Amino acid sequence: MSHGHDNPILHPEVQMSSTRGYFTGFLISLVLMAAATAMVSSHAFPPFGLLMVITICAAIAIIAQIYFLLHIDVSEHNIWNTVSLVLFIPLFIFTIGLTWWMFSQLYLRTMPMMPGMH
Amino acid sequence: MLVQVPGGWNPLLGRLAIDQIPYTNPILAPLFVAVVIGAVIILGLITYYHKWGYLWKEWLTTVDHKKLGVMYIILGLVMLFRGFIDGLMIRTQQVWANGPQSSGVFGAVHGYLTPFHFGQVYSAHGLIMILLAATPLLVGFMNIIVPLQVGARDMAYPYLNALGLWITAAAVALIMISLFVGDFAHNGWFGYAPIFELQYSPGVGVDYWIWTLELTALGTTLGGINLIATIVKMRAPGMTWFRLPIFTWASLSANIIALTSFPALQVALFLVACDRYLGSHFFTAGFGGNLMLYTNLFWIWGHPEVYFVILPAFGMMSEIFPAFSEKPLFGYITMVAASFAIAGVSWLVWLHHFFTMGAGPDVNSFFSVATMLVGIPTGVKVFNWAFTMYRGRITYTAAMLWAIGALFLLLVGGLTGMMLAIPAINYMVHNSVFVIAHFHSMLLVIVYAIFGSVLFWFPKVFGFKLDEFWAKTMFWLFSAGSVLVFVPMYMLGFMGQTRRLDYVFNTAWHPYLVTEEIGIAVYCLSVAAFFVLLYVSIRDRVKNRVGQDAWGTSRSLEWLTHSPVPFYNFAVTPHVNARDELAWRRHNGINEAQPTQYVDIHMPNNTGVAIYIGALTFVLGFALTWRMWWLCLLSLVAIIALMIVRSWRGDPGYIITAAELEKMEREAMQRQQQVEGHLPHHGGQAVPGGAMAYEGQKVSPLGTPPSSGGDHH
Ligand code: HEM
Ligand SMILES: [Cu+2]
Repeated sequence: MSHGHDNPILHPEVQMSSTRGYFTGFLISLVLMAAATAMVSSHAFPPFGLLMVITICAAIAIIAQIYFLLHIDVSEHNIWNTVSLVLFIPLFIFTIGLTWWMFSQLYLRTMPMMPGMH
Repeated sequence: MLVQVPGGWNPLLGRLAIDQIPYTNPILAPLFVAVVIGAVIILGLITYYHKWGYLWKEWLTTVDHKKLGVMYIILGLVMLFRGFIDGLMIRTQQVWANGPQSSGVFGAVHGYLTPFHFGQVYSAHGLIMILLAATPLLVGFMNIIVPLQVGARDMAYPYLNALGLWITAAAVALIMISLFVGDFAHNGWFGYAPIFELQYSPGVGVDYWIWTLELTALGTTLGGINLIATIVKMRAPGMTWFRLPIFTWASLSANIIALTSFPALQVALFLVACDRYLGSHFFTAGFGGNLMLYTNLFWIWGHPEVYFVILPAFGMMSEIFPAFSEKPLFGYITMVAASFAIAGVSWLVWLHHFFTMGAGPDVNSFFSVATMLVGIPTGVKVFNWAFTMYRGRITYTAAMLWAIGALFLLLVGGLTGMMLAIPAINYMVHNSVFVIAHFHSMLLVIVYAIFGSVLFWFPKVFGFKLDEFWAKTMFWLFSAGSVLVFVPMYMLGFMGQTRRLDYVFNTAWHPYLVTEEIGIAVYCLSVAAFFVLLYVSIRDRVKNRVGQDAWGTSRSLEWLTHSPVPFYNFAVTPHVNARDELAWRRHNGINEAQPTQYVDIHMPNNTGVAIYIGALTFVLGFALTWRMWWLCLLSLVAIIALMIVRSWRGDPGYIITAAELEKMEREAMQRQQQVEGHLPHHGGQAVPGGAMAYEGQKVSPLGTPPSSGGDHH
């Protein structure tokens, strides 16, 4: 038989999911988004500082979502998740890193400096 | 309302009003009448012949990967035709609106299309050809062929497969309805900031564009997940990674690209939607937005996407060349490596679409070198194909002609791509029609590979071959058209004709434009030849019936089962002993070995849920476009409800018993006997090294004469 009759509930990725985990992940991302929005709309820091703070918030939110919602970790029964993680990290670095690089070069040539960015 | 939109808005119909229907347009109004008449005739015929039940049971609710694939391909061909008509309109406008003396009709100063209408035509043309013609055609082929090549009964997720098709169909419906209700975007297929902002494009055109793209992106991502899972998890016993047919490898690399890049498109368009619907400023010049950020995000997807469409085409060529050269593919391992190298590098080159942004020499050099690196694996592939043909016993079937044509186009497109990859040249020809000619050469590689594949795999799916004479006629007409259209286009690009002109000022270019128009006329003839091809082939279908190995020289696993393929694919899962399994079996004289014993098999049930969700996503897209908020909410809730209901019920599937299976198999074998003059035999002769033909069933011991069926007939 090409596809199994085994109970899908027993699959490791289903076993790993729990209401508590999903709820935690959801809550963390919600709180971080609200915090970022509040800081931006109240101009809590100078522009460059704000950029840094909301970037950090976004990074934490991503990690929380990867862990709590997508259950991506490096354990053995989740080997395919690890494979996708290994694929994801270089792509993430390339896209974000190269974008950063090309726009910083562009801004050197075309933009007045952002206040606070010496 | 979240942002103030120009024109009226009411809670019930959103922005929709009677004046949004272009019933006074001299081109669209007659077209609309023709479409309605055509639709009434088709629906009338279906009703007259009582085919609704058949259509619903066998096609609209099916989860069979072959039928879904056929529907993908039909959808793709219809859109290829629509896109062709757009192309014809663009060419006709340019040859007509050439020079200040040129006449104008239908409200246009020059030519027959106003600039606003012309903008919609070229935007729709590009979007349709890349995302709604080439992509569905390729996904359709992957759908049909990959499960057969890996020896699976269906895709890993049959229901998800149906969902992918119907969401793609919803995108098609959305762009088609934009012809008659409202208008379409005029910002080109990839869009520009800030012209797509509400301020500069106040109509609904851009909204149609956003939601059409979002829906195809969703449908293609779902398809990609399914194909990857199928290849990773559903391979028949013995099908090790390095026995995978090369088309399957190509599909795997392509779908990895799709899965990783389509989200970038979805996010980019979502941000555009935020600008237009919520009044945010991601891509505006003021308030901290950044225009080029859109272009950047778009091409982060856009360049991987072009490799998503070319890699399966490479895979198709890799199947056609060996079959008609009667040799194994040269350099299998390097072919696999090249596919993945291309997939990997395709992520690092996107800036070559906007070298002229001005990021400076360091950045441009990096992306220039990265882009040129793609030429290495591509070159490897070209040489592998050439060496496959070298000293082969080549038969010039129509499929082979298309594949060879694709190879030549790849050279032209690849080398002009290399030229474009040099920033110094790029600054000269960027946004000229030279670029247009470059990527049309490349996309024609795909079209050629697809037509080659239609001819190559048609007998597998439908059980009879297409007519060779008309297929070759079509090939030569199509190739003549391609030369006539695109060679002058390269020249015009060098002379400085920029892309997307609704009015061409330079009358010295007239001869070139006329040549292109003649090319379009020749293309029209090839389209006619295609219809004749279909007619003649279907008329002569009994005469052109084939057995399981339609070409007699086929190599991979899909040719092991009957033609047409039964809905369960393989009565008994085959055991794979070699790369190019069928060629191996033929060599060992067991290519017709049939299983000696059947067991019950488990199949998924049909479901209507997929088509309902598809219809609802169309409603959602339409409601979002016209800002009918209540309808958005309603359709979204309905989609979620349907998904919950479906996952709650699941699908227990059903069982085909061994006895039923045996009966169906016997009929299939009798059909084959009528074609080939003898019955395929059970069991098989001895083969070296204790090989197995079917899982768990030994081949008869050495010295036993081939059984002719005995108890089963
Ligand atoms: C050898 C490989 C290739 C190289 C070096 C290459 C290079 C380039 C470059 C540098 C451009 C930007 C031109 C400009 O706008 O100034 C470009 C545009 C383009 N290429 Fe390629 N390319 C290659 C293969 C492909 C393939 C395989 C496809 C698709 C099947 C493709 C489709 C396109 C498209 C669609 C555009 C332009 C999109 C637009 O502006 O509307 N290219 N190519
Ligand atoms: Cu590119």
